[in-house]
Parts: sequence; C-alpha cells; structure tokens
Amino acid sequence: MPTQPFMAYENEIDSLQIDTLSVENRLDRISLYGSLELTKDRQGLEAALKLKRIIDASIDALKRDKNLPDRIEIKVSESVENPF
Amino acid sequence: MKLFISLINTLILSTTLFAAPTQCEGLYYGNEAPDILNAKLLPKTQELCYSSFALMHSGISRTPLWSAEHLSKEGLRHKTKRSNDFHPDDQLSTDERAELSDYARSGYDRGHLAPAADMGDKQSQHECFTLANMVPQNSENNRGIWSAIEGATRHLTNQKGELYVITGPIFSGSPIKRIGGRVLVPSKLYKAIYDPSSGEGAAYLVSNTPSNDYEVISISQLEQMAGVQLFPKMTPSAKQNTMDLPDPQEYHGGSYNNTTNKDIIHLIEKLLKRMF
Repeated sequence: MPTQPFMAYENEIDSLQIDTLSVENRLDRISLYGSLELTKDRQGLEAALKLKRIIDASIDALKRDKNLPDRIEIKVSESVENPF
Repeated sequence: MKLFISLINTLILSTTLFAAPTQCEGLYYGNEAPDILNAKLLPKTQELCYSSFALMHSGISRTPLWSAEHLSKEGLRHKTKRSNDFHPDDQLSTDERAELSDYARSGYDRGHLAPAADMGDKQSQHECFTLANMVPQNSENNRGIWSAIEGATRHLTNQKGELYVITGPIFSGSPIKRIGGRVLVPSKLYKAIYDPSSGEGAAYLVSNTPSNDYEVISISQLEQMAGVQLFPKMTPSAKQNTMDLPDPQEYHGGSYNNTTNKDIIHLIEKLLKRMF
C-alpha cells in the first residue's frame, strides 16, 4: 500500500484507482467516480483505508483554507471560430 | 460487370487516397494509419507511437485527432492497478501541446481516447496518461455513456478475440469552445471498431454533452463526418454496412470481466446458429 501522502488540491497530476473507483486530484476539486466494494475481508480493509486517506487529506486541505468560497468558480470557456 | 465496377472503385480509391506511412507497427489494421481527408486537419499534425496505442496529434486543437489500438482478449486479461500521473507530452513542442494548466479549473475532464483500462502493463498505463491522448470531455459524458462504450468495446473484444479500435474527436460547427485559451473542445466523440475476423465494422458516436444518448453508425458515415479515412484496408462495401455493436448500457460500471446475461444470450444464439 502506497504511503506517500495524498496532496489534495495541490496538483492536476495524481490519478489513482481503488477497485473500479477512480480518484483524480485537481486544483479545484477531487473527482471520485466509478464504484467500490468494501468487502468484509483484508482487501476491503485496504481499500477502505486508501479511501479514508484521500477523504482525510481532502478535509484537512479544505479546513486549512481560510478563504474557502461558498462555491468554486469555473473559468468560462471561450467561443472561437472552428479552424477545421 | 458488378465485379468490374467494384474493381474500378478500389483502384480509384487506392490511387487517390494513398495511405499515410506509419511508424507505429502493429497497432493499425493492415499496418495502415488513417488518412486525413479534410485538408484543414493536416497542419501541425504529428504521429506518436506508444507501446500499446498510436495517435495523431494536432498542434492546432492541441488534442489527438485519433488514438488507435489493437485490442486482444489476451491483452485485456492482464490488469494492472492504476496509479498514474497526467502529464504533458515531451515529444511535442511546447507551443503545440496541451499543458496541465490548460485543463485546470475548466470544469472539463481530461478524457482519455485510448482508455487506461485497456492497458495491460505499467508502461502503457503510464503512457496513456499523456495529455496527447486527452480531449476536454464533459465529465458526466466521460463517466457515464463513454465509460460504458469503453466497457462494451472490451466485451466485444473478448467475444471476437481481437479488434482494431480508433477513437477520436469531431470538431463540428462554428464557433466551437476553447479552454485555457489553447485547447479546442470537441463537439462529438467516436469509437470506430473493425473486426478482422468478419471484415465488418461500425462506430459509436456521442455528443460531448451530459447526455447518455449514443448512436451506432457505419464506418463510411463516420469517415465523412470526421474527415478521416479510418481503416484504409477495409473494403468500401463493408464500410457501408453497420456491424451490430453491443448496447453500452449493459456494460456500465467496469464489470466487463463478468459474464452478463448478454453473454449467455450470445452463446445460445451461437449454438442455435450452429444447429440450424
């Protein structure tokens, strides 16, 4: 089990997989999608701990942010002429 | 006479559209990469070869124009755990490639064309996280219908043994959207499938929107729409037909290794065909 800390909201790089649950680290969000079975066995425990590590890191980062907005702002995409 | 006409047709096609030479061995059907038919797609294109997929990158859209894979049942059997890094592609010049910052805070997913779940080993897993293999994709689309289409394609590979798959964006209409001031947002996405065992093919087509709607169209319809001749070695008549593709809704959630009711029905159909 990887022990390096999950740097929540710090980069646009990290992508990891717990079962078929995908986790992507981004500057404005942590994306979790797919599905995950926390089976009542050692694998289930390992998966639950991995998920906890990500959730804990996310909560810590959110609590640390003194200027947390009510809602994030998305950069509006521009409209350009289709070059093709 | 019919044969004569089709011979002429083949000759005309093979002379006017000679296939682009490819550096990427073993990933395209008949080792022939797609031909770009819409001349506007040509500027700043660069072919990139990876261990399990090949792509044609556009420095105009800063996305791939397609990613190509040769999927096999054996190749899909090896599943590696996915822990990976999204990264810009060092093989591309900085003015032509997408950067992580282009996608940041855009609200769009970095949508893989050649999907991570198709990759059998660590190296190809890492490679498919290059931004050269990504398009800005609506997140609901990526995680919903698109993920199901990827699952259905793996399922079909397991049924057929091997498939050649080309996945790409379509930039249609004007104006179109651009994120980060640099990366164009496709209006549609397609996954074209060629089955070498039967010579048949077809493609899934979706709009890059939150919708779960999809269409299955013929390769010739798609080639016109995309401005790309996708499988140069496929016969023109086979391109007109639309091969049956599995309903993606059945393969949602990535459980593509499990036997579904569809598999059982397919087996029964096969048996019945053999009996009568």
